Amino acid sequence: MRSFLYAIAVGLVGAALLHIVIILSLPSFTGRDAYTRVQAFGETNRFFPLAGEPGATLAPINDDPALKTAVCAFSLENGPIRLSAEGNVPFWSLAIYDSASNEVFSMNDRTSVSGALDTLVATPIQLIGIRKAVPPELEQSILVEMRGDEGYAVLRTFVPSQSRLEAAVGFLADASCEPFTADQ
Amino acid sequence: MFRTPLVIATALAVAFGLGILSSIYALRATVGFGAIALGPWTAFPAAQTVGADPYAKAHRARDGRLLLGGAEGLTFTAATDSENRTLMENCRYEIKGITPPARLWTLHAADRDGNPLEGARAGLPTGLNSWSALRSADSNFSIRIASSAMPGNWLAVPDGRAPFLLVMTLLDTPTAGSSGVIDLAMPGIARLGCADA
Repeated sequence: MRSFLYAIAVGLVGAALLHIVIILSLPSFTGRDAYTRVQAFGETNRFFPLAGEPGATLAPINDDPALKTAVCAFSLENGPIRLSAEGNVPFWSLAIYDSASNEVFSMNDRTSVSGALDTLVATPIQLIGIRKAVPPELEQSILVEMRGDEGYAVLRTFVPSQSRLEAAVGFLADASCEPFTADQ
Repeated sequence: MFRTPLVIATALAVAFGLGILSSIYALRATVGFGAIALGPWTAFPAAQTVGADPYAKAHRARDGRLLLGGAEGLTFTAATDSENRTLMENCRYEIKGITPPARLWTLHAADRDGNPLEGARAGLPTGLNSWSALRSADSNFSIRIASSAMPGNWLAVPDGRAPFLLVMTLLDTPTAGSSGVIDLAMPGIARLGCADA
């Protein structure tokens, strides 16, 4: 009898350890975290508007009827990424996440320079080079220092009514997420 | 002679059984620590950050949602009414009051997994926002939630008996960074009645 009580006590300690191991290691092997789902679109450096209904792929869906969302998975290996968008929408917001889906940077239209989105995402080393001699086209841009090489950007815009849908869809369709190369 | 293997099997069964079940339970029960609870509404302002606790990180990795960044807004979710009864599709509810300071807000109903719900038919109002909601003279609003048409602001939910969630997103709000200095209040959710309950 005593040995069974002992076994249960050992089991409880083991359960506590296993619980901690599962919780801590889960983020690295769920296979359906936000970054993996964003990558399901297949192509990087391009904004993809989200569908309203879950499709056959893992791709994330638009989960608020009053917000339209587009996502762009990017890699900074071949240089910084410039995000830009412009349009007549009442509200837009941008969030940049690293590959572990941690927020790196977020902003909305009120915190932008002129109401339009113009942001450059770069690694700390690339940023040093850019800051040394800021190219004229980046003078108004917001420079964001990225953790790691890979991540994704989420661009949302507010659609208060059906009549604003066209402008919102156009805003997201025209949004660009492209590697930046300075004009010589 | 089978005593020793049996003891070891007990220890292993307890360890794996409880370890796995407690992890699943913890991830289902909550999004993590650091919630802001205002009446029935809860929000997790730090769930998307690098400083989120391990439970929040495990939960968001399993959930795979695109969370709102700090400057974008804050999502409040309610699973119960103000008297702590689960929100059911066959009941009618009224949300009354005012939101914390925010530039815009949106409201919609979702199933227990967080996917937005459709109305009983296409074209019904399944989402309301600060531009479309009608307000009284003191800028309070009253939103009725039911599967059949209601006067005033109406949010349609499907015709069924399933539990659902209400999701209110405040866009561009200082609420996320609030240290409790501002007195925040979310609108209350009152149950008006239930069909054949």
